[in-house]
Amino acid sequence: MFEEYLLQRLGPHAVITMPAEIDLTNADQVCQALLAAVSPGVAVLVIDMSRTTFCDSAGVHAVISAYRHAATTGTQLRLVATTVLRIFTIIGADEVIPLYPTLDEALADAAPAPAASGDPGDGRR
Amino acid sequence: MTAHLSPAVVQDRLRDIQSITDVALSRLSADELLAALLERTRDILQADTAAVLLLDFSAGQLVATAAAGLEEEVRQGVRIPVGRGFAGRIAAEHRPVIFDHVDHTTVLNPILWEKGIRALMGVPLIADGKVIGVLHVGSLAARKFTTDDVELLQMAADRAATAVQSLLIREDRIAAAALQRSLLPSALPTSGGAEMAGRYAPGEGAVGGDWYDVFNLPSGELCTVIGDVTGSGLPAAVIMGRMRSALRAYALETRDPAEVLARLDRKMQHFEPGAVATVLYAVFDPCLERVHLCSAGHYPPVIARPARPAELADVAPGLLIGAAPGARRPVTTIDIAPGTLLCFYTDGLIERRGRSVDEGLTVLCQAVIAQSPDVACAEVMAALVGSDPAPDDIALLMFRRSLPGTG
Repeated sequence: MFEEYLLQRLGPHAVITMPAEIDLTNADQVCQALLAAVSPGVAVLVIDMSRTTFCDSAGVHAVISAYRHAATTGTQLRLVATTVLRIFTIIGADEVIPLYPTLDEALADAAPAPAASGDPGDGRR
Repeated sequence: MTAHLSPAVVQDRLRDIQSITDVALSRLSADELLAALLERTRDILQADTAAVLLLDFSAGQLVATAAAGLEEEVRQGVRIPVGRGFAGRIAAEHRPVIFDHVDHTTVLNPILWEKGIRALMGVPLIADGKVIGVLHVGSLAARKFTTDDVELLQMAADRAATAVQSLLIREDRIAAAALQRSLLPSALPTSGGAEMAGRYAPGEGAVGGDWYDVFNLPSGELCTVIGDVTGSGLPAAVIMGRMRSALRAYALETRDPAEVLARLDRKMQHFEPGAVATVLYAVFDPCLERVHLCSAGHYPPVIARPARPAELADVAPGLLIGAAPGARRPVTTIDIAPGTLLCFYTDGLIERRGRSVDEGLTVLCQAVIAQSPDVACAEVMAALVGSDPAPDDIALLMFRRSLPGTG
């Protein structure tokens, strides 16, 4: 079951792979996996939803919980989404978590020092 | 030593406990079940006192809930922190504890030694692998509880624990449903020129944190609210009730919907840390020609103008309530021609496993027609819910600006 939440470390960054479907039935597990992945040693955590085809508001709330936890550890979040991109923009989550169409673009943005700002791909305002 | 009952009588009494838990699930309240359990436990163990303390998970405390021969515990609302004292140790260590000597050095709760209890024995109440409370018995005479006694008490506890938990969950559900009912407007205010209708449907067996609200401001504006607190059951319904009241209070202070949601967000982050909710707040001008919408992470309404296909209103998104301090709160203003219908809803209406959110929104837009709000509610529920159980609860609110001559 846990390969669904595969966590890879890439230097100071990490990538967590999300399952194909996220809804009420597994949102708690997703939330726990995300909270565990956010730690003070991780500068940037990329949440990879590129293979996620279904995510409802329970899934969005799991990501928001991770965001709140990340604010306490100093970890920055990036989100990769294609099919489920719309739900994150429709409910305003992109205001605090930058969204990317591909993992490569999220990592390219994550690679420089996290202090880099003024980046057009960075959705923080 | 205490006179013991014969093994045959003991087996009989244990069967008796089993039978009351079976009856309890259909007929008794949790209080009645606990009272019956304590009476029989005291009898089986020939003890003078018996008590149940249930765990308040959020407080990390055991709360005296039922007692026989020790009623003061419940009447005085005794609370014992998990890990401390006699009962606290049982809950923390998940195992029986026996005290042959009871005084202030061993027991936290003064009622126990003031009552003259000389010996105590307690076991955890375990349901679904989790400690939900503690069952203990006491003796006013000096007594050494034996391992046989502990086994008997644990058997009584095991037979009762699952039934106790089921009853508590059921009572929470009933309370949540009652709270939910009391907070939804029973009759929507009818103001000249506006017609409204609302629906609430619980999800599969459980009430959640969805709500809608409609009220007028002293300055003449008509306000509508639809929201969804993450989570389910009584905790979500309680937070929903607090948000509903707070939003109404802030609405009286300022007509700016962005400011109302900003204050609500600040209040929630301070007093309900950890709670997350979406809210869509709409303020209609007194003449109903325009509506000012502010969304905190909520799906935009569907707007149906007369003789035109319905579409999602283009409402600027804002962050969910409880997510981050100081979120931007953009306001979108929309003109409403007479006959226009607005459909406000929660995620439970459109989210189904195996269907994307976009598909759900498309089905909804096809089902919404600018017509009487009551009929529109019925048609939308029929099209999106039908006879299938919805996994999550659903709130739905329809507003229509009346056509001239009908308002």
